[in-house]
Amino acid sequence: MPLSTRVLLAVFLASGAIGAPAAFQRPTPSAGTTTGAVAAANAFLATLDAAQRSKATLEFNEKTRVVWSNLPSGMPMQVGATERNGLKLADMTPPQEKAALALIATILSREGYQKAMEIVDADQLLETRSAPTRKPGAPIRFGRGEYYVSILGKPSATEPWMMQFGGHHLAINVTMAGNAHVLAPTHTGAQPASYTVAGKLIRPLGDENDRAFELINALNAEQQKQAILGYEVRNLVLGPGTDGKTIPPEGVRAATFTPAQRTVLLALIREWVGILDDQASAAKMKEIESGLAETYFAWAGATTNGRGAYFRVQGPSVFIEYAPQGAGENNIDHIHTIYREPANDYAARAARR
Amino acid sequence: MKALAAALVVLLATGDDALAHRLDEYLQATRVSFARDRLAIDVDLTPGVSIASGVIAMLDTNADGAVASAEAGGYGRSVLSDLRVSLDGNRIGMTLEGIDIPTLDEMRNGTGTIRLHAAGRVEVGAGRHLVEVINNHRPETSVYMVNALVPEDSGIDIVSQSRDPRQREFRAEYDVTSEWVGYVMLLGMGTAGVVFAAKRRNEKRKTNSEKRIIKTTNE
Repeated sequence: MPLSTRVLLAVFLASGAIGAPAAFQRPTPSAGTTTGAVAAANAFLATLDAAQRSKATLEFNEKTRVVWSNLPSGMPMQVGATERNGLKLADMTPPQEKAALALIATILSREGYQKAMEIVDADQLLETRSAPTRKPGAPIRFGRGEYYVSILGKPSATEPWMMQFGGHHLAINVTMAGNAHVLAPTHTGAQPASYTVAGKLIRPLGDENDRAFELINALNAEQQKQAILGYEVRNLVLGPGTDGKTIPPEGVRAATFTPAQRTVLLALIREWVGILDDQASAAKMKEIESGLAETYFAWAGATTNGRGAYFRVQGPSVFIEYAPQGAGENNIDHIHTIYREPANDYAARAARR
Repeated sequence: MKALAAALVVLLATGDDALAHRLDEYLQATRVSFARDRLAIDVDLTPGVSIASGVIAMLDTNADGAVASAEAGGYGRSVLSDLRVSLDGNRIGMTLEGIDIPTLDEMRNGTGTIRLHAAGRVEVGAGRHLVEVINNHRPETSVYMVNALVPEDSGIDIVSQSRDPRQREFRAEYDVTSEWVGYVMLLGMGTAGVVFAAKRRNEKRKTNSEKRIIKTTNE
């Protein structure tokens, strides 16, 4: 394609006015309880034939649960696996897909479900944009059909099991062990990080970005000095493939925060924790709040919203990173984030009990 | 001109290189692990699309389109030779323990990560120590990340980390406590646990006996 044509095409695509798929409709959710999740999981499995069920279900163990990634289909993941766990949406009939989405909606909050679907929509847009110029035979695939749903272990109200929903820029890993629902580790990302659907601007991770800028700008000079790292950070430190690793905290300690600053920090953390159903996320937020004084906030990059900046929140029971990947003007059109719970990824604490 | 530049960025983000990670940079992410007898380093090296061919040329030295294990090892050792790792001012010899190479196509797409694992033997006694890591591998095109990992040994405590603005130079100070201190603490905790359990058992026994007395009285 001549360069001038490609530039014109790029300008057209940059408007974000074409190629965006219709947003998913959220199925009516059951309450976010373990029994509700079990019922939704069994209802989904009941729609599958034997071959599909065998693909969608796996044992829940240390080898299976770590198979997730930020990467698109067609690429080996950080843990070496070449395909995600489970059955992808493209291989489901409409009723099966509806049951799969109902399961996801049951386990996540309304906001969490919407965020996940907006990430999927962004990837569908990426597929629409990239497919025409993709090299023949290239294995990489984006788009809505490439998101996988899997159930690890037997859905149970008492024994541990797990639901994974993942594809490019999304790895929702929810482990349920009795009443304990644990979202960690979960990866969210977006490319494009903003697009329009029917004239409405969609930013799947916009609130995460905006609340973080609100917080860094709410800090006083001394706090900012401690929060801002003296070096650039170009990616997640503990992204996919780094399970079980911990880094020492850096930045400013929330013990120095005013009540107003603490409120903004909690709102920022809730952007990740709140992906999970309301009851579980409220309990998790309470736990995080109890350790807030020992929670650190670190920042690298400009402090003016609209420019790319890395940040990290690290406390006794929470670890969050947000890292722009360097695409688009001001490096803000491609984002990766990670949510972890130190010593409690995959509900390790409940398993120890 | 600004609009054209923005359009070009979008073009890069939406054309052949739809993953749109940084195209002209070699991302080198290093993690440093501390133990009493060893210092381990993991380096993840991800070349961007526009510099991948140069990295592939260093890996596939005979240009046969495949990376043999000897070629992979050779590249791993060359990366290590560009890393200066020192403990308390003395350079540590790092040994390549493994290297994972992605497919050449993955690297050409800007999505392949070379994963290098290396370690050096050290002997650290109780007290404060300083580790320095300076990465001189391909500085002209590279961006760096370097982090200490929290040690598994509770007797090792990282007290400070510092880096230059590019994270090419890294320093970490850490304290090591004597192993016997750990044993004493463990023994202390164990003793406290036994005492606590015995106390609980006595209290339970006392409550049960009181309950029996009440029951007998009622009867």
